[in-house]
Amino acid sequence: MNPTTLFAIPMTLFSGTMLTMLSSHWLLIWAGLEMNMLALIPILMKKTNPRSTEATTKYFLTQTTASMLLMMAILINMTSSGQWTITNMDNPSATSLATLALIMKLGLSPFHFWIPEVTQGIPLTSGMILLTWQKLAPISIMFQLAPLLNPYIILTSTALSILVGGWGGLNQTQLRKIMAYSSISHMGWTTAILMYSPSTMILNLSIYILLTLTTFSMLTIYANHTISSLALLWNKNPLIALAISLTLLSLGGLPPLTGFLPKWIIIQEMMKNNSIITPLFMTIAALLNLYFYMRLIYSTTLTMLPTTNNIKTKWRFESTKQTLLLPTLLILSTFLLPLAPITPILN
Amino acid sequence: MLKLIIPTIMLIPTTWYSNNKMIWINSTTHSLLISLITLLFLNHNDENSMTTSLNFFSDPLSSPLLMLTTWLLPLMIMASQHHLSKETHTRKKLYITMLILLQLFLIMTFAATELMMFYIMFEATLIPTLIIITRWGNQPERLNAGLYFLFYTLFGSMPLLIALTYIHNSTGSLNLLLLPHWTQMSLPPWSNTLLWTACMTAFMVKMPLYGLHLWLPKAHVEAPIAGSMVLAAILLKLGGYGMMRITIVLNPPTTPMTYPFLILSLWGMIMTSSICLRQTDLKSLIAYSSVSHMALVIMAILIQTPWGFAGAMTLMVAHGLTSSLLFCLANSNYERVHNRTMILARGLQVLLPLMTTWWLLASLANLALPPTINLIGELFVMMTAFSWSNVTIIFTGLNMLITASYTLFMLITTQRGTLTHHINSIKPTFTRENSLMLMHVIPLLLLSLNPKMTLGLFH
Repeated sequence: MNPTTLFAIPMTLFSGTMLTMLSSHWLLIWAGLEMNMLALIPILMKKTNPRSTEATTKYFLTQTTASMLLMMAILINMTSSGQWTITNMDNPSATSLATLALIMKLGLSPFHFWIPEVTQGIPLTSGMILLTWQKLAPISIMFQLAPLLNPYIILTSTALSILVGGWGGLNQTQLRKIMAYSSISHMGWTTAILMYSPSTMILNLSIYILLTLTTFSMLTIYANHTISSLALLWNKNPLIALAISLTLLSLGGLPPLTGFLPKWIIIQEMMKNNSIITPLFMTIAALLNLYFYMRLIYSTTLTMLPTTNNIKTKWRFESTKQTLLLPTLLILSTFLLPLAPITPILN
Repeated sequence: MLKLIIPTIMLIPTTWYSNNKMIWINSTTHSLLISLITLLFLNHNDENSMTTSLNFFSDPLSSPLLMLTTWLLPLMIMASQHHLSKETHTRKKLYITMLILLQLFLIMTFAATELMMFYIMFEATLIPTLIIITRWGNQPERLNAGLYFLFYTLFGSMPLLIALTYIHNSTGSLNLLLLPHWTQMSLPPWSNTLLWTACMTAFMVKMPLYGLHLWLPKAHVEAPIAGSMVLAAILLKLGGYGMMRITIVLNPPTTPMTYPFLILSLWGMIMTSSICLRQTDLKSLIAYSSVSHMALVIMAILIQTPWGFAGAMTLMVAHGLTSSLLFCLANSNYERVHNRTMILARGLQVLLPLMTTWWLLASLANLALPPTINLIGELFVMMTAFSWSNVTIIFTGLNMLITASYTLFMLITTQRGTLTHHINSIKPTFTRENSLMLMHVIPLLLLSLNPKMTLGLFH
């Protein structure tokens, strides 16, 4: 690829998100989101097959709709309050529209339908960027708008997302769709404590991004796209098979791994605000997520030789994919729980 | 407590850096040495606990279970030698590492001061056990068994997390050293009920209570020998220990709330003992007998009298040793015949007479023969139940009768009678197996001489 293009696209992606995170003027925030989306389109279209085209088109349409809703909210705010500062959004229709727009951008229920289909149609690395980097900008807007957003919409979409993320992933065999449903579920957890403690939302997001980066990095090494391709991974690289299992267990939120920490802190924060039944149902719905991770772990590590396996072996190619910082990511994704005592700094 | 935890962590590099010929010897010897450290904890001069640090402590309630946990690791490693003999050295080391990791989490669970630490370690024990059951089990049913085990336990413990967080928010601390001195929480009636249920469900599933016991026969049967041993001996006791600890906080609502669970325990005792009479699978029989004994423990803990707690503790230690011993004996049969069906390896007294001695001692312990601690535990529990309600004597007495029946059934089927033709060529008993059984039986018999240390807080 042209070196200029190779530089310009990630640079635009990066600066788009930075623009959104660093401005206080609504127009610049909106412009940052648009830059982000436009820069991602060629990344999603790395392979020019019809499936990628379909995925990219779906992504473009949903994100544009969300941006237009956001623009509507901005303009209503502009006409009712006369200024463009992000922290002064009093008009209830503006805040509700902004909430809906941000939920659509993140891919929470009931606007989650594009995530599995888009993630499935694009290469693994693009999927990684879609599910991790793209969450940063909308979450930063939500963080700044936290006291102003409509709580009913947020709580409804939280509850729905966790349920949809759990149940939707149950029937999947394609790994990218499984990661998509996992993203829906984790975004549900992230927005759950938006109302009570936005800094905990940042904690959840960062640990989720850490875990997803780790998982995708390991999946790209041998280009595993289905559960059956994971089945003979232990033969090619037993260490990666073990590492994928540990990371998936962490994603499922099992103590004593890192993934338990955000769930624990979220439950604590919600209960400090007298919300007791909601965290109960959230934790039980998270078990659905754990079920399909367990299925992956079963085929990866827990059914090795000499137990019989009906999977066809694939050709063994030498892997040429770069795995940036994989050991660091792995250690961080599994052993970070003892750092739990520092979480009071979030208040 | 670090004098126990750090050597256990260091067992892992010991295993990995061992010479390939010395894997078993190193791990068994060193874990045996570590178990001697826990003997220090049994020395309680008074009712106060031995607080060793901010995070870990040792109590007359937790030290017998700590002793049991650390004693069991060398036994588990010894028992696993045969079925792992054909695996590569890396896999052997991985298996031993899983056992050591499980031991580590169990030590931290039993020694925890903060109930939240207890919870995290309680959940953490699930992962190594799951890996042991599903990776090294022998039949395809082990996959289902692993899932049942994981999800039953997790489903029960999610409400426990919520309940612990709630108690932390309302009373300010979850430290077990402080909680007995706290004033009782006062909640509206239904909330009290829900809190009680949320706290107890996790431990009921773990014990297991009769209606929630479906994971146990699957997990015990499909697990390899070390997995079965640790499941039967220790992991079930996690539930009992947790129940004993959490009832401190739950005092006012406990009395009416316990009725359904007491009834389930009483009925479940009889039901599971009766099922044992009709089992063909040896491991399944021992698994159901575990449910039956644990139902007695649940009953004792829920009635919440001093004798009840003493009886529950004694019964837990006794059952741990006995059940683990029975699983080792069943495994010795399995390794010879590669089948768990009882009648396929019968009449063994003629072929393996020393093994018959161990079978006899195990069976006598299981049916609570005086003066073993099994009897002391069961007797205390029976007396507690009788003081709660006279009618329970029918159930507990009937349970003792049926327990004796199925235990003798198991003994007579496997040991007595005529030999079958196909087992004339089985290997004689290894010294390793004999020493394994001996190391189970000796604590059991010695504790009969001085059961004071297993009587918990109220001796």
